[in-house]
Amino acid sequence: MNKKETEFDRGTVLSIFSSDRREDLMALVLALVIALVVYLAY
Amino acid sequence: MVYTRKSPALFIIGLIMLGIWGLQEASILSAYIAHLGGTKYKYAGEIATVPLYFGIFSAVAGAWQWLGRHREGHFDYYLSTAAGAMFILLIAMLVRWFVAPEIAVGSKALGEIGDTGKHLHTILGLNYVVLGILSGIIIVNVFRIPRWAENGVRLSRLGLKTGVILLGTLYSAAELKNLGGLSIVMIGFFVLGSVGLVLWLGARMKVPSSMGGVLSAGMGVCGVSATVAAAPVVQAKSVEIAYTIGTILLWGVGCMFVFPIVGHLLDMSHVQFGAWAGTGILNSAQVAGAALAYQPDGIETLKVAEIFNITRVLILPVIVLWLAVWYVKREDLQTAQVNVGRVAFEKFPIFVLGFILLFALSTTGVFAPANHYKGKYFGNTVASGFKQENLLKPGQIALLKEESVKVQRQDRKQTLQRLIDNGKVMSIEDDDILRGLINANVVSREANKVLKKAHKAVRHTAKKIKAFRDWVTWLFAFGLVGLGMQITVSSMRQAGGQPAIIGGIVGAVKAVLSLLVVILLISETV
Repeated sequence: MNKKETEFDRGTVLSIFSSDRREDLMALVLALVIALVVYLAY
Repeated sequence: MVYTRKSPALFIIGLIMLGIWGLQEASILSAYIAHLGGTKYKYAGEIATVPLYFGIFSAVAGAWQWLGRHREGHFDYYLSTAAGAMFILLIAMLVRWFVAPEIAVGSKALGEIGDTGKHLHTILGLNYVVLGILSGIIIVNVFRIPRWAENGVRLSRLGLKTGVILLGTLYSAAELKNLGGLSIVMIGFFVLGSVGLVLWLGARMKVPSSMGGVLSAGMGVCGVSATVAAAPVVQAKSVEIAYTIGTILLWGVGCMFVFPIVGHLLDMSHVQFGAWAGTGILNSAQVAGAALAYQPDGIETLKVAEIFNITRVLILPVIVLWLAVWYVKREDLQTAQVNVGRVAFEKFPIFVLGFILLFALSTTGVFAPANHYKGKYFGNTVASGFKQENLLKPGQIALLKEESVKVQRQDRKQTLQRLIDNGKVMSIEDDDILRGLINANVVSREANKVLKKAHKAVRHTAKKIKAFRDWVTWLFAFGLVGLGMQITVSSMRQAGGQPAIIGGIVGAVKAVLSLLVVILLISETV
């Protein structure tokens, strides 16, 4: 696991984001953008 | 560090996607699609659009990655994920559109298995979800993830979380009102029971408190996320986190494959299976995987499973607080100060708030009119979308008449009679009663098919809701293929020893007990 961690100097082994909270926020932003697109396009 | 690899891989992926689109547009795929199911093949519409858009993006971004000059920075870091993301998406496309249907064709050629009335691929759950995860596992363990794709594979969890948030658009207040209470009672019992059992077994088997603490969160709440959230609270070492994740993945992957098989053998309804998977399976991704594996052509099971799963995720801050207090007492760290409010604020998963936000928006009717139940609305007249050719045929009505003697409940008898008299469902109340009759499996399989046909004929999907469903399906497919790429043999081997024994005992107890509770308590449409 440690060997894997050294391959990225940003983010974590499982995510490109530095923390769960940041990943959650990005997921929220992405979801809201998709919701807006669906709302406007359909 | 420059993350972009100067490789033609993404450009080639783009060409492959555009090639798939081109073959479909030129009708060259027609013969193959006829072999895969002809008019029953459901993905022709997707092939006509999805690979075009993503193919253009991949070709353009791929040309830049291959031929451009790259410097360290945010642009390089985030755009470098495109190769891995499109790699995952291409696998998801190939598996969903071609591999899974091909396996289904082969399985159907073998005939139904015994008295189950089901084909081998249905019983084993060999659909695009499971095959996608298997593809990921094979790629990472046999071929390794290509260097150019490594950064993008780390986007898979983002895809899953985005999918969970968007799932909020597919719930109605009525559903949560009916299911929420049951899920809270069941999840509360099983989460608290699992955490308590792991801590008790850990103390009996003399594993370190940090190991027991982090394993209890993983086994009790929602797998890897809970493990990561609880680890700093119990000061878990990295090897203990790895052991816990290994145990959860080993057990979770097993459950993901075994649960749908058991579900099909017991002929569980979508609601029953969703409740069982959402309670008994440890990890959020594997809950979704099992639910989609059980019902790959619909989202009802996934929705029920996710309500139970979301309820479980909501309990995470409570468990984190419990563990914080337990660990401090256990280790006798009298000097340590546990700020309850701060721990709750820091550990609360924001994506759960996102789910609730979109659920609230959906409940206001902004995405679909308020009377569109589950994003679908009732209509039994031509003006409201009913097609005359969907009226029940004389043979189907005769079958229902024959089977009606098996129906005991008065309201169901009357509703069935109205259906027989009119050849279609006459009211939304009748439709709800018929759905209960279908789920109760009172009449024969053939008669149930007729009832389902009558039900579908008067339910019409709102366009916005259908679009949200497609997004959720693709985000989960993307996330789960990526998840497969993170399941290495070595991570599963790490489950060896006492954590695996404790995990096995608690996981088995939870799976069996929750199955019994679901079968005993849930028999109707919820």
